[in-house]
Amino acid sequence: MDIGTVIAGVLTLAVLSFLYRDNPVYKMAESLLIGVSIGYTLVVIWSSTLVDLLLRPLFLDGMLPLIIPLVLGLLMFGRFHRTTSSLSRLPIAVMIGSGAGVAIPAMLDARTLKQLSATVMPVVTASGIPDLSAIVIICGVVTTLCYFYFSREHKGALGSAATVGTWFLMVFFGTTFGYTVMSRMSTFIGRMEFLLTEFLHIAN
Amino acid sequence: MNRVVSRHWIFLGLFVLVALAMGSGIRLDTPVSDRTAELYDFIESLPEGSVLLVSFDHEASSLPEIRPIGQALLRHAFRKNHRLIGMALLAEGTAIGYRLMQQAAAEYGKEYGKDYAYLGFKPQYIAAILSMGESIPATFPKDYLGRPYESLKALDGVATYADVAGVLSIADGSLTTHWMEYGRARYGVRVVSGVTAAMVTTYDPYLASGQMYAMMGGLRGAAEYEDLIARPGGGKRGMLAQTATHLYVIVLIGLGNLSYFLARRKKETS
Repeated sequence: MDIGTVIAGVLTLAVLSFLYRDNPVYKMAESLLIGVSIGYTLVVIWSSTLVDLLLRPLFLDGMLPLIIPLVLGLLMFGRFHRTTSSLSRLPIAVMIGSGAGVAIPAMLDARTLKQLSATVMPVVTASGIPDLSAIVIICGVVTTLCYFYFSREHKGALGSAATVGTWFLMVFFGTTFGYTVMSRMSTFIGRMEFLLTEFLHIAN
Repeated sequence: MNRVVSRHWIFLGLFVLVALAMGSGIRLDTPVSDRTAELYDFIESLPEGSVLLVSFDHEASSLPEIRPIGQALLRHAFRKNHRLIGMALLAEGTAIGYRLMQQAAAEYGKEYGKDYAYLGFKPQYIAAILSMGESIPATFPKDYLGRPYESLKALDGVATYADVAGVLSIADGSLTTHWMEYGRARYGVRVVSGVTAAMVTTYDPYLASGQMYAMMGGLRGAAEYEDLIARPGGGKRGMLAQTATHLYVIVLIGLGNLSYFLARRKKETS
């Protein structure tokens, strides 16, 4: 058994020990996970971002325009002192401005317009049979929107539609929760498989 | 309400149940869903040698669920002799993705640099996706191992998304959304994905609206895919345990509700 398998097995058991109660072994494993994750991410970002995209092109290849992101990045450190904290507003403004400019049209298109377009569909198929899926989708969208309409009291027709909207929401929450349980169980099963086969050699 | 059963017994029950299911060696039949079949058909229908961009958009914590998904998809793509280009939009997925590709490639005798390449991690995922739309070599001048882009035969003729048959995003979060919002919407690249079960409902609307071409989700999706490629793996092995744990949760919910109503009736009568 290689050393990596032993470490992974011991740490898996250490994390699972939390199911009994909080204990120092679990805390050690948790701290180790956080430390290693941050350390690994820092190393990857240092080499693939700062060195590859900034330091090497700027200082070795002489790409002078890269001084602009370098200065903007350094200004972010202004936040660490009261007298210089206002300097950090400039890089933040650049990030928010450019980020919003790029994201808003893309999100509006993919998350709203395309979804609206997919909702507006014929409720009767070409052969004249009602398309149940289309009817359910349209009912779900309209009644859920009624639930989120707060400018009028939910009474009468609006109240009934909002109630139906709540049912649709509950179905969505239930489905999402069911999938989440499935996902967490899969993670547990994956670790159990590792423990029983590679680490303890109990199962094949 | 008093606790009828200590949570420790519930965890112990789960542990025993999974251990028994895993140890039994029984493999459940899993009918293949249309969703998984569509993804299989997509990879199957591509001409031999097509270029697939595989993006490992996940963290290390989801590895138990991501591994069977990734393995099944990579095995199929390598078996079809497609050229695979790996990359990662999350730092934690970088080494995992490289290892998964290496393992799957070794099973089919594929050679690094000739049949597949790994470009590594690129920060700022939106900027990375947009930049690749303009030029993949400019975004990744070197591969994960530090070799120049032009020196790798697997990357011959691959300059933009136009040279790629599709992006296969293996994700445990919302990063696949960005492939659709920027890669598909702006550059028209076809996006398919293998995602954790928790993300299935997030991506269903994208699948229904045609923004995502095909998707498979969770351990169940992996098991179905393993059936399709006739290569059992982690998905098939875990399905009995998955089913048993779901039944266990249903029984616990039933018992919880029963104890609640019994306690309420007792309170009302007293």
